[in-house]
Amino acid sequence: MTERYVELHAASAFSFLEGASQPEGLVERAVELGMPAIGLTDRNGVYGSARFHTSAKRNSVRAHIGAEIAVSSFGSRLTPPAWLPHQHVSEPVRLPVLCESPTGYQNLCQLITQFKMREPNKCEGAATIEDLQQHATGLVCLTGGDEGPLAAALVAGGETAGRKIVEQITEIFGRENVYVELQRHQEREEEWRNQAAIRIARALKLPVLATNGVRYAMEYDRQILDVFTAIRHHTELDQAGRLLALNNQRYLRSAKEMASLFRDVPHAIQNSVELSSRLTFALDDLGYEFPRYPVPEGDTMDSFLRKRVAEGVARRYEPKKNQHLLERAKKQVEHELTLVAKLGFAGYFLIVWDIIQFCKSHDILVQCRGSAANSAVCYALEITAIDPVGMELLFERFLSESRGEWPDIDLDLPSVDKREQAIQYVYQRYGELGAAMTANVITYRGKSAAREVGKALGFDADTLGRLSSLVSNWEWRGKTDTMAHSFHDAGFDLAHSRIAKYLDLSMRIQSLPRHLGQHSGGMVICQGQLNHVVPLERASMPGRTVVQWDKEDCSDLGIIKVDLLGLGMMAVLKDCLELIPQHYGEPIDLAQLPEDPEVYRTLQQADTVGMFQVESRAQMASLPRNHPEVFYDIVVQVAIIRPGPIVGQMMHPYMRRRQHKEPVSYPHPLLEPVLKRTLGVPLFQEQLLRMAMVVANFSGAEAEELRRAVGMRRSWERMKNLEGKLRSGMTANGLDVTTQNNIIQNISSFALYGFPESHAASFALIAYASAYFKVKYLAAFTCAILNNQPMGFYAPAVLVKDAQRHGLRVRPIDIQISDWACTVEREHDGSLSLRMGLGYAQGLRQQAAEALVASRVRDGRFSSAEDLAQRVPLLNRKELTLLAHIGALNQLDGVEHRRDALWQVERAGKLEGPLFQRNVASLQDDSEGKPLLQMNIEERLIADYAGTGLTVGKHPMHYRRAALQQQHVLSAKELREQKDGNYVRTAGCIVARQRPGTAKGFIFLSMEDETGIANVIVTPDLYERERLVVTRSKFLIVEGPLQNQDGVIHVKATRLMAFSDGALALRSHDFH
Amino acid sequence: MSPPQLYACLYVKEFTAQALLRLRPELREKPCAVMEGEPPLQQVCSLNAKARRMGVLTGMTQVEMETFPAVTLLPRSIQEETATRMALLECAGSFTPRVEEASTERAFLCVLDIAGTEKLFGPADTFAEKLKNHVKALGITASVAVSQNFHAAICLARGMSSRTTVTVIPAGAESAALAPLPLSVLALSEEHAEKFALWGIRTLGTLAALPENDLIARMGQEGKRLRQLALGNLPHLFLPVEPTSTLEEYRELDSPLEILDSLLFVVGVMLEQLILRATSRMLALAALTIVLRLEAGGSHTRTVRPALPTNDRQFWIKLLHLDLEAHPPQAPILSLALTAEPGSTSKVQLGLFSPQLPEPGRLDVTLARIRAIVGEECVGRAVLRDTHQPNEFRMEPFTVGAKNGAEISCTQPRVALRQFRPPEKISVTLQNERPTSFFLQKKRYIIEKAYGPWRTSGDWWNPELWNVEQWDLVAHSADGSLLCGCVARDVARNCWEMVALYD
Repeated sequence: MTERYVELHAASAFSFLEGASQPEGLVERAVELGMPAIGLTDRNGVYGSARFHTSAKRNSVRAHIGAEIAVSSFGSRLTPPAWLPHQHVSEPVRLPVLCESPTGYQNLCQLITQFKMREPNKCEGAATIEDLQQHATGLVCLTGGDEGPLAAALVAGGETAGRKIVEQITEIFGRENVYVELQRHQEREEEWRNQAAIRIARALKLPVLATNGVRYAMEYDRQILDVFTAIRHHTELDQAGRLLALNNQRYLRSAKEMASLFRDVPHAIQNSVELSSRLTFALDDLGYEFPRYPVPEGDTMDSFLRKRVAEGVARRYEPKKNQHLLERAKKQVEHELTLVAKLGFAGYFLIVWDIIQFCKSHDILVQCRGSAANSAVCYALEITAIDPVGMELLFERFLSESRGEWPDIDLDLPSVDKREQAIQYVYQRYGELGAAMTANVITYRGKSAAREVGKALGFDADTLGRLSSLVSNWEWRGKTDTMAHSFHDAGFDLAHSRIAKYLDLSMRIQSLPRHLGQHSGGMVICQGQLNHVVPLERASMPGRTVVQWDKEDCSDLGIIKVDLLGLGMMAVLKDCLELIPQHYGEPIDLAQLPEDPEVYRTLQQADTVGMFQVESRAQMASLPRNHPEVFYDIVVQVAIIRPGPIVGQMMHPYMRRRQHKEPVSYPHPLLEPVLKRTLGVPLFQEQLLRMAMVVANFSGAEAEELRRAVGMRRSWERMKNLEGKLRSGMTANGLDVTTQNNIIQNISSFALYGFPESHAASFALIAYASAYFKVKYLAAFTCAILNNQPMGFYAPAVLVKDAQRHGLRVRPIDIQISDWACTVEREHDGSLSLRMGLGYAQGLRQQAAEALVASRVRDGRFSSAEDLAQRVPLLNRKELTLLAHIGALNQLDGVEHRRDALWQVERAGKLEGPLFQRNVASLQDDSEGKPLLQMNIEERLIADYAGTGLTVGKHPMHYRRAALQQQHVLSAKELREQKDGNYVRTAGCIVARQRPGTAKGFIFLSMEDETGIANVIVTPDLYERERLVVTRSKFLIVEGPLQNQDGVIHVKATRLMAFSDGALALRSHDFH
Repeated sequence: MSPPQLYACLYVKEFTAQALLRLRPELREKPCAVMEGEPPLQQVCSLNAKARRMGVLTGMTQVEMETFPAVTLLPRSIQEETATRMALLECAGSFTPRVEEASTERAFLCVLDIAGTEKLFGPADTFAEKLKNHVKALGITASVAVSQNFHAAICLARGMSSRTTVTVIPAGAESAALAPLPLSVLALSEEHAEKFALWGIRTLGTLAALPENDLIARMGQEGKRLRQLALGNLPHLFLPVEPTSTLEEYRELDSPLEILDSLLFVVGVMLEQLILRATSRMLALAALTIVLRLEAGGSHTRTVRPALPTNDRQFWIKLLHLDLEAHPPQAPILSLALTAEPGSTSKVQLGLFSPQLPEPGRLDVTLARIRAIVGEECVGRAVLRDTHQPNEFRMEPFTVGAKNGAEISCTQPRVALRQFRPPEKISVTLQNERPTSFFLQKKRYIIEKAYGPWRTSGDWWNPELWNVEQWDLVAHSADGSLLCGCVARDVARNCWEMVALYD
C-alpha cells in the first residue's frame, strides 16, 4: 500500500521570521511529494493564506487554513532548562487550530482580531481562554509541537499537568475537535513527550495526529530559519546558541518518510488524511458580504443610487447643451444602472459617492484614476471628471457581468493631511470592525537582505553601510549589477568562505516577508463585519487598523476595496485654484479649462518641467514628435510612454503615423472605427476589448475575460480556449488567416502592459490642467508646486531655475517677508514674483518659523539679530545661524551681508542671565566693526544649496561659462542650434539619472545649465567603464555626437568627465 | 621677568608607515601602504609618499588595493610603533631632559624645551638641523619647527610644507609666521571648525584679526584660547614626559646555558633587583615574563601570573621553575630578559569566622603544578556553552561564585550515564541505514534494539560545522553480556563512536 499523509501543521515565512519558505514554496513541494492537501498555520494570523490558497488551487492541492494562536492563559512555551545556558525569552504557548467550516474560519478571524485589537498598538498579542471559548466553534485544535501547550505542561508538571491541559482544551473545543499532536524531529527530548502524549491520548480517548511542525519546505532552508532566528533576537549566529534549531528536520516530509518515522503509531498518519477530509473549508467561501449603504426609508439602495445618478446626469450634461449627447448619456446610464442592480453593486457606488460628498463638503479635491472613468454613473456621481460618453469610452472595461469580482475605484486626493482626513472619515463611518487599510508586506530586498544577513553573520556596521550603498537599485539590471558584483565593489573577497555564505544567504532570503506594513491608501470596507472575513490588527500608525492581507490578496479573494491615494499634483491644482483668483483676479474652474493654443505650443516644444505625467525625459523626448494639438493627443501621450507600448513596439508606428511618415492602415477594415483615434495602432485596453467585440463578435464580458486571460501569464489554458473562440469568430466574419494572426499578435503583445484609456484620460486631464496653470499662471503654479514637495520628477532647485528661465522672478527667503510656505508677491511694477518660504530653510522647525511669522505680524519688522532672538525665543542658535547663512537675515538693520548676520546671531543667540538681558551700553560689542569678510560667489552658492537645496541667484554653471567657452563647451541652448551628427561637448549639473527597464541598460541623464536642460545618453559599455563618474558626479562634461531628430536633442556620450563642482551638494532625483 | 623660552617641535607625519619602514630600509624607495583591521576587511591606514603619488588613499580596502599591484602592503604593528616612539623620545631626550609628547593616533609629535642649549648645540636653526638629522639616522623623516611659543612651534610643524623640514621663527614674529597657515593645524573640535568655516575664517591670520572681546562674547574662553593660538602667544605649562619606567632586566649570558637550575640562579639575582625596584615604589610584581634568546635562533617566552601580586622571591622562582619545566626551551640559552608587570601589594582580609582558605601563594603553586602536568587549558572549572553541539564546554578560571549552586529541579526520573572520555571508536554494521551490530574493544555485539537516530547539527556558517547522529542501543555480545549504550556517528566523516553506557 502506498502511504498517504497530509501535513496539517506548516508555518510559512508569513510567520514573520519564524518560517523560511513562501506559502507557494510549500505548495510546490507538496505537489512534488504528491501530497493531496496541506494545512497552513502561521503565527497569530492568516497573512499567507490568500497566496497559499491561490497557489494551491492552481496546483489542485487542497489548502487548509489555520493558525497558531498565542494563548497567554496556558503559560509560557517550552524553553531549555534553567541549568543550561540559553537566551530564550518567555513567550506564550501557541495553539494550532484549523478551520473545519466557514464558521470556523469566521471564528478564527474574530478570535485573532479580538486579541490583536485589544492591544493599544501594533504587537503580537495573545488570546485568553475566554477568547477561545467564544470562538471555538468550527475549529479543530491540535495540541502543538514544542511551541504548544502540551509540551510546556509536560516539562513543567509532568504527565499530570499534560493531561490537565489536554482536558482543558477538550472542554473548550469539544472532544471530537481535539487531536493530540505528535512530532518527530529526531530530537531525544521530544520523544519522551511523545510517549507521554500517546498515553494521555489513550487515557482520554482522543485521536493522535502526526505532523512535522513544518517551518520550511526543504532541509537546506533551515539555514534561512537560523538567520531569521538571529535577526528576530537581534543577535549574531555565533552568539545565538540554543536559540537556533537543533537540526534540519522541520521540512515538508513525504508520506513515506512520515510513515517510516511513525511506524509504531500508524493511526497518527491515517488520522492526518481523515482530518484533512473533515476540513471542508476553503478560502473560496469567505462569506464576504457586500457593504450596505444606509438609505432613507422608502428607498432601496438601487433606487437611491438611481436618483443620485439622475441628478448627476442633469448637472453634468445639461450645461453642455447637446441634446444628442444627453440622450446617449441617459441611455448609457440606464444600461449601467441595470447591470449595477443586477450585480448588487449599488452599495459600493454609494459608499464611494459618500466619500466624494465628504471630500466636496470639506474642500478636498478628489478625482478617480483608473477604469472607473469608463463609467457614466461614476461621471454622474462626480467620482470622475472624464465624460465617458463624450469620449466614447468602453464601460465593459470597468464592469462586466461575468467578471465575478468587484469593481475597483481608486481615488486621488491631495497628499498627506487631506488624505488622512478622508481615511479617518471612512473609519468613523464604517466602524472599527467595518473598515481597515490593506496590508503591505515588507519583503527582503537587496539592501535590507544584505544588511540583516550581514548583521547575523557578525559583520560590522561600517562594512555593511558601505555594502548597502553599493547594492544597485536601478530598475534595469545589467549583468554586472548582481549582488555578487556589489559585494566585490564593497571590497569583499568572495573567495572567503564566510563572505560566499553571506552572499548566498542574502540572495536566498530575497522577497521573503520581513514584516507587515500598511498600504498607503488601500481600504477595505465591510459593513461592520470585516473581522469575519479577515483578521484585523493595529497598524504602527496610531488610529489605523490593517487587515492581514495585502491589496492583491484582497482582490484575489473578491474583497471590495477603495484606494484613497495621495497625488501630489492634486494638491498643487488645489493650491492653484486658491492662488489664481487671489493674485490674478481671475476666476478659475478646473472642469471648464479652455483648450489653449499657447499651452499646446508649450507641450509641443517639450517645455514641460513640473507638469504632471509629461515631464519625464522620455515624455519630453516624444512630445515634439507627437505634437499634441487637442486634448485627446495628451491622452495618447500619457499612455504611450509606458513600458507596454514601448515593449509592444506600438510607440514608433504611432509616432511615424502621427508625423505622416507612414500611411495610416488598419489590420482589417472592420477595425477602422475602433482604431481610428489612434491612427490604426492599438494603444488602449478598451481598444483590445472592442477589437474582439468587432472582429469576433465577443460580448463585452467575454472581451474583458480575454484581456484578463492575456494579462495573467499563468492562464495559458484559458487563453487557448479564448483564442480558439476568437479565431472562429473572426473566421465567421470572413477574416483571412494572416489578418487573424496579425490581430492575435496585436492583442497578445500589448495586452500584458496595456493601459486603460479611461486611466490615461483621467491623468491627461490633470496633465492638461497642470500645463495650463504653468503656462498661464507661472507664479501661482510654481508657488503651489514648491509648497507640495517632494513630488514629480525634478528637485525644487530645477523647478526654480526653470521658472526663472520662463521669466519668473524668485525672491530669496527673508525673515521680514517670508511665510512658512512660498508665497506670491506683487512687485512695484505690478508683475508677480515668487517669495521662497521659510520651509525651504533646511533644519528650521516649522514651529519656530511659525512663531517668527506670528511675532512679525503682531509687532512688525525685526530690527536686529538681537531683536529677532529676543522676540522669537523658540529659535535656537542653530536655526539663527542657518537663517543668517542662507541670507534670510540680510534685511535686518545693520546687516550688510550674510557674514555680518552670522557674526551678530552668534552673539544674539547666546543664553544670558537676567542681568545681561538689559540693554546696557557697556555690555554691547565694544567695536562696531564687522570683522568678517563678505562671502564670495562660490561660498554663497554653497550656502544656498546647503541651507535650502536651491539658489535663487544665478545658476552655478553661469559662473563657469567663460572658462567653459574657452574649452568649446556648448550650453544647452547652443546645443539646439547644432546639426544632427555634430560632435559636441557640453557640461552641466546632473538633475536626473534614469535607467528605464525598457532601455536595455542605457542610462539617460538630464543635465542642467543656466540656459536649460540637455539630455545625455550613456551606453551600457560607457557606464561599465565610468560607473563611478555616472553615479557619483554632480557636474559632468560630456562629449559625443549630437542627435537632433524631429527637434528632440540628445548627446550620445562617448566621453564623460567629472568636473570640479566646488563641493556643491546638488541633489538629483534618480529614477529607476 | 620670565625666563627665556625656546621650544623645538619634532613632527613625524604618517608615523604608522614610517615606524614600519624604519626597520625595512629596502622598502623605503618603493610605494608602501599599511593595512589595518580584521581580515577580510582591512583598510589602508597610512602610506608613504610614493604610494600617495600612485593614487592610493587611506581607507581603501584590500580588494581596491589589488588594483595597485606595485604597492607593498604591510600590516600595522603597534609594537613597532611603540618601539619607534620610544626611540624618538629617547633621541629627543638626548638633546634636552625636558620633552613633552603630544602625539595623535597617526602622527608622532613631541616638543623639546631647548632654552639654554645654545652653548651645547649652537643656535636654534643648527639645533633643529641636528635634531632632524639625528632622527633621520633612526630612519625617520621628520620636520622641526622652533619658536619661543610652545604652541606656535606645534602649529608651524604641522603646517609646514613637505619641502621645508626646518623652520625657526624669530622672537616676536610668531603671528606673522602663523598667519598663512590653515586652521586645520589647530586640531579644532568639529563644532568650532564648522563655525569658522561659516565665518569664512580659513587661516590663522584671519582668526587672529578678529576683535578679542567680540570673539569672547561669541565663543567664550575657548575663543580667546584659539585666537591666542593663532597669534602665537598662548602660554603653556610644560609637562615633561616622565622617564618611562619599565621593570625590565636583561642579561647576556657568558656561555650558552642548558641546565634549568643554573638559569634559575641567574633569574634569582635579576628577580631580586626587580623586587627591589618594585618595593621602592610600594609595588609588587603581578606578572613576570621571561624571554630567552636561544642559540638555535628565535626566542622562548613564558609568562607567569599568580592570583595575587607578590614580592616573594622564592615563590616567583618556584612558579617560573614549574612553568619552565612544563615548557622547556628547545635549545641552549644565550640571553634572558625579565619583564615584570607591577601590581599593588594587596592583602586579603578574611572574616574572623570564615573557614581557613589555602594560602593564595600555595594554591597558586599547586595549581601551577597541576597545569604543568595536565596542560593550561585543562585547569579551572567546566562551564557549559550555549550551543546544541553535544559535550561542548569551556574552561573558566576558578572563581568563588556569588550565589550558591542553584538546586536543579527535575520532574522526570533521569537515567544515569557513563560517558566515555574520550569516546571509543567502534565499527558498525548497518542494514537499511540502521545499525545491526558493532565491535567494541574487539568484542562483537548484536544490536537488539536501536532507538534513533537523534540528529543534531549546527554552525553551518562556519568551516567547523558539525552534524552528529546518535543511537541508543541495547546489544548482546556472544558471551551473553548485555550492553546499553549510546553511539554517535559523525555524519561528515562517517565515523562511529561509543560515547556512553547507560547504567
